[in-house]
Amino acid sequence: MSQYTESWRVERAARQAAKPSLGTQVRRLAIAMWKHRWYYLLLIAPLTYYLIFRYIPIWNAQIAFKEFYALKGVWDSPWIGFKHFETFFNSFYFSELLINTIIFSTAKLIFGLPIAVILALAIHESRFLLFRSLVQTVTYLPHFLSWVIMYGLLLGLLSPSSGLINEVIKSFGGNPIAFLTSTDWFRQVVVLSDIWKETGWSTILYLAALLGINPELYEAAAVDGASRWRRIWHISIPGIVPVIILVTMLRLGTILDAGFQQIWVLYSVPVYSVGDIIDTWVYRSGILDFQFSLATAVGLFKGVIGLILILAANEVAKRWAQQSLF
Amino acid sequence: MFRLGHRDEWGFQLLVNGFLLLVLIIIVIPLWRVIMTSLTPLDVYMRGGTPMFQWPWEWSFAAYEQMLTHPVFPRATLNSVIITVCGTALSLFLTVPLAYSLSCRTLPGRRIIIALILFTFLFHVGLIPVYLLVAKTLGWTNNILAVIVPPAVGVTNTLVMMRFFEGIPEEIKESARIDGANDLQVLWQIVLPLSKPILLTIGLFYAVHYWNEFFTPILYLNDQKLQPLPVLLRNILIGQTFSEYVDYDVTRAASIESLKSAAVLLTMLPMVLVYPWIQRHFTKGTLLGGVKE
Amino acid sequence: MSKPKIVFKVALFALVLTLIAVACAPAPTATPVPAPTQPSAATKPAPTVAPTVPPAPKPIDTPSKPVDIEMWAQATSTQAPAPPDDWIGYKVIREKLNINLKYVIIPTGADGETKLNAAAAANALPDFFQAVSTTNARNKIIELTKQGLIAPVDDLLKLMPTRVKTHYNDPAAMDLMKIDGKQMAFVEVPNLPRREGLVIRKDWLDKLGLKSPTTIDELFAVAKAFTEKDPDGNGKNDTYGLGGFFDDTGGPGSRFAFFFGAYGVPDLWDWERMDSNFGLSVRRPEFYKALVEFRKWNEAKVIDPDWATIKRDEFRIRWPQGRYGIMWEDFAALAMAANYPKFDKNFPDGEWAPLPAPKGPDGKAYYGAYGAIGAVFAVSKKAMDAGKGPAIARLLEWMATPEGYYLCGFGVEGVNYLLDKDGVVTTEGLPDPTKAWTHESMARYTQWRNQLIFVNDPKEIKARYPDHKSIKGRTISPMAFYNFFSTQPWLNSKPGQLIVNPPNRADLQRFYNENFQAFALGTKPLNEQTWADFLKALDTNLKANEWEAAARKTLQDAGILKK
Repeated sequence: MSQYTESWRVERAARQAAKPSLGTQVRRLAIAMWKHRWYYLLLIAPLTYYLIFRYIPIWNAQIAFKEFYALKGVWDSPWIGFKHFETFFNSFYFSELLINTIIFSTAKLIFGLPIAVILALAIHESRFLLFRSLVQTVTYLPHFLSWVIMYGLLLGLLSPSSGLINEVIKSFGGNPIAFLTSTDWFRQVVVLSDIWKETGWSTILYLAALLGINPELYEAAAVDGASRWRRIWHISIPGIVPVIILVTMLRLGTILDAGFQQIWVLYSVPVYSVGDIIDTWVYRSGILDFQFSLATAVGLFKGVIGLILILAANEVAKRWAQQSLF
Repeated sequence: MFRLGHRDEWGFQLLVNGFLLLVLIIIVIPLWRVIMTSLTPLDVYMRGGTPMFQWPWEWSFAAYEQMLTHPVFPRATLNSVIITVCGTALSLFLTVPLAYSLSCRTLPGRRIIIALILFTFLFHVGLIPVYLLVAKTLGWTNNILAVIVPPAVGVTNTLVMMRFFEGIPEEIKESARIDGANDLQVLWQIVLPLSKPILLTIGLFYAVHYWNEFFTPILYLNDQKLQPLPVLLRNILIGQTFSEYVDYDVTRAASIESLKSAAVLLTMLPMVLVYPWIQRHFTKGTLLGGVKE
Repeated sequence: MSKPKIVFKVALFALVLTLIAVACAPAPTATPVPAPTQPSAATKPAPTVAPTVPPAPKPIDTPSKPVDIEMWAQATSTQAPAPPDDWIGYKVIREKLNINLKYVIIPTGADGETKLNAAAAANALPDFFQAVSTTNARNKIIELTKQGLIAPVDDLLKLMPTRVKTHYNDPAAMDLMKIDGKQMAFVEVPNLPRREGLVIRKDWLDKLGLKSPTTIDELFAVAKAFTEKDPDGNGKNDTYGLGGFFDDTGGPGSRFAFFFGAYGVPDLWDWERMDSNFGLSVRRPEFYKALVEFRKWNEAKVIDPDWATIKRDEFRIRWPQGRYGIMWEDFAALAMAANYPKFDKNFPDGEWAPLPAPKGPDGKAYYGAYGAIGAVFAVSKKAMDAGKGPAIARLLEWMATPEGYYLCGFGVEGVNYLLDKDGVVTTEGLPDPTKAWTHESMARYTQWRNQLIFVNDPKEIKARYPDHKSIKGRTISPMAFYNFFSTQPWLNSKPGQLIVNPPNRADLQRFYNENFQAFALGTKPLNEQTWADFLKALDTNLKANEWEAAARKTLQDAGILKK
């Protein structure tokens, strides 16, 4: 132990000695900044946008700690500390909401992302150009369907009294299953329908990434005798790994957003226990009851959790794939 | 372009295209049902829902007629187009410089800026704080700016674009700099032309987002003349659900379900047409065509 | 700086912010909810508010410059847009009343409530607006009063003698919106009260040779026959005795309230016991008995099992397809000229007959609980301070005069409607039938008729719900259904409007609904023990007893409950 700290101390001392003086550091920084002056020029507009449209609302978000009075405004409303957070944490259903939310997000990520990647690869590899374009165009269409329409579709498929799937089950002599109101099936319905709806859309991004890979790499590998599979494994996949990692990290950061629109339309009382997520609870308790401060407080909570997760994911990505957001 | 070189090529293509066919079928069947619902005549629907297949001469376009002759439809479509075009332009105008600047690994303060941006991504503070800024501080009530400006820069889109710019080899940029170009010229003359796929993709993402915006228009736009298509769509989709007391339900030529389906399909039509058009610009290797000098 | 360091700096920054937040927290200030005033008991007959000597009618005062009034209200026809800018109504309002009226439609449901709440939060409420609420309008008015965003309207009432007589003639309703003795909002005329009821397929009864049921047991036998004996004779097992859906109106929901009404407990609250025992209906042993019976029906599969998941839209698609033998439906949705044909086309020989409230084992019968009030409108404090109050009163008063009533409720005489010899509005004989006020394209011109115009007098009702003929020539009379429904025994639940939502309303509602449905559908065993556990959990975990105590106190203070 002491051996370790000893050598560490020596290293640190060496590093300190090698550091240039403060004046030199400042001068070096100024030179570097001047060298990059055009970039700073480019940054003016976007950063102003961020300042106004992202950071001022964060300032306004202090209402999460206040009892908000419209006439008094954000600053003058009385402070009540963590009371809103307590309302949220003390909810009878708090742990269930958290668990459901995480299960949905994680399942959608774990099952949805690989399917989107595989579909992108398949489209990329197909030699029938017309067929490829057709598949591409058709598969992203469901993204544009609203969940209200999807509910009708799902009901037509899954209703225990008249749904298509249950008709098939009944013709085989089985008992109809109430998919949408069964706690055993609801989660599967949610995840699968989301995958059905969004896969084609996610594929667009991965496909664009695949198109960005230098075709000479493929030709060189073919000349070297690599089979299709090897080419995919060694060229295509590494080419889109950065995008995959980026998307995964960002989705982890928003893990507590599990798809409010979808759940709101599909859920009903019998499946609250497996389907109620944070956002549906906030909707029922927050906006509708004039408790915006509550909704803001929950948003902040989600942000903290998201931040922790992204930082953790970034560390993992750094170690395993040498990718980092920073 | 059908190179049949090796024997494994056949098997591979069979596998790949078989998979694609399967996916196509799974996606198409429910979609087909939506289309059929929009074309089902009223009396057929009332008798027992939508049949899976109807002969073209049995189709009824009543639902589409009703949507297209809706007094507000033309204006709403125009509003949607304005919002989408202006919004996408603004978004790209802000996102591209941001992503390009951050893609320079030697930029001092790069990590701080990324951290600050990521911070805002995670702490999406919800409805009211943004509303207070837009409606109260900026006074943009009933102003289309309230719909266009706040969502202009998406963090995901920015970071993805940043990754793409990072992937452009340094040599290209270096050779331009040696010729005397500054960073702005490098962006304009070298990087952007090479980035067509990603610009089109991100542009498409923004365009779709703006096209589908219904909630911010409901919140900020009071004047009916300003409201875009999705608001009309939403009224049709869920308006009925809440009106318990149907004083009179009009003698429609199309059922409510057909109307909903037709409304959804009409709203998604422009986006559907845009993507194949974009695809024409997505040819392989566009990105790095100019490496060999 | 190395990478981990920048990361931890950001995290530290966030942590420090939160710590500062905690450290600076002063003691929370107590914010009392204003106590409700003493409204007249809901059971007393409603005296007219106008004094015996009507005040001299004030001339409609028109200052020199038009006043700008912005009005937000829900639309009567959600799929139609607002009137166009060149609508004659706007012209008349401007020239006659000197008001530039801007009408903004509030979307239905939660979207609209969010829009209103957001405007309130930014202190940007419009001059005159409908206080929409998906839960309880009174709560919304209390909240808005607490925030200081709306103004009392007592003075404005004095400026509207006609309207007070036609619209604000129910003191019990108006008193609901009195906070601290001041009238904080207008309570408009409710849509026709008690307009829903039970109906049964008479043709199925006849086919199976059954009598019309009068008790819950008889109803069960009939429902069973409907489910099992193929009453539509199509050889398929596709019919159910009872159909419905679950709505969140409290208790068993409005569709099945009749069922529990047969046991005396149709509502969330126990309105039969207006004494110190007042509380939630679930406390009563009769509720348990009713639930056991309801579960029996579910297990025998005489109810369409989708009731727990479908919503109103889907329900209204199913019954015209001939799935149900018995159902609870709104008279207009059932029998109006534009709704009935959906069913008629499929089943020209089909016939619906109204059913009286079935009696329970103790001989009790309630069709349901009724406590609705009409649309609630408030005036923003900003508008009142700017002196717009009298203009708003002018506008409302004009809407109650014959000119405003007909223009905003039906349209232009001779174009959109005609008056028959009895003075009833009719669409027969119009030169252009596509311009009838009932036609879809004309819906946009009368968008606030349900919210602000209609008064439910007999002539108007006759105009709104005319009789018509079915395909086979039978007369279908919506009014006949309405008259039957509204004269059934209903339990008065209006005082429920006074009860303030508990802070954990969403959780309590969910727990209640979840368990109710689990017990009813059979996913949870139902016996004395599990029921007792449910009631106990309701108190310990969801603090239902605290809510009941608060409700009792509120009602006692209002003089409705005896102490």
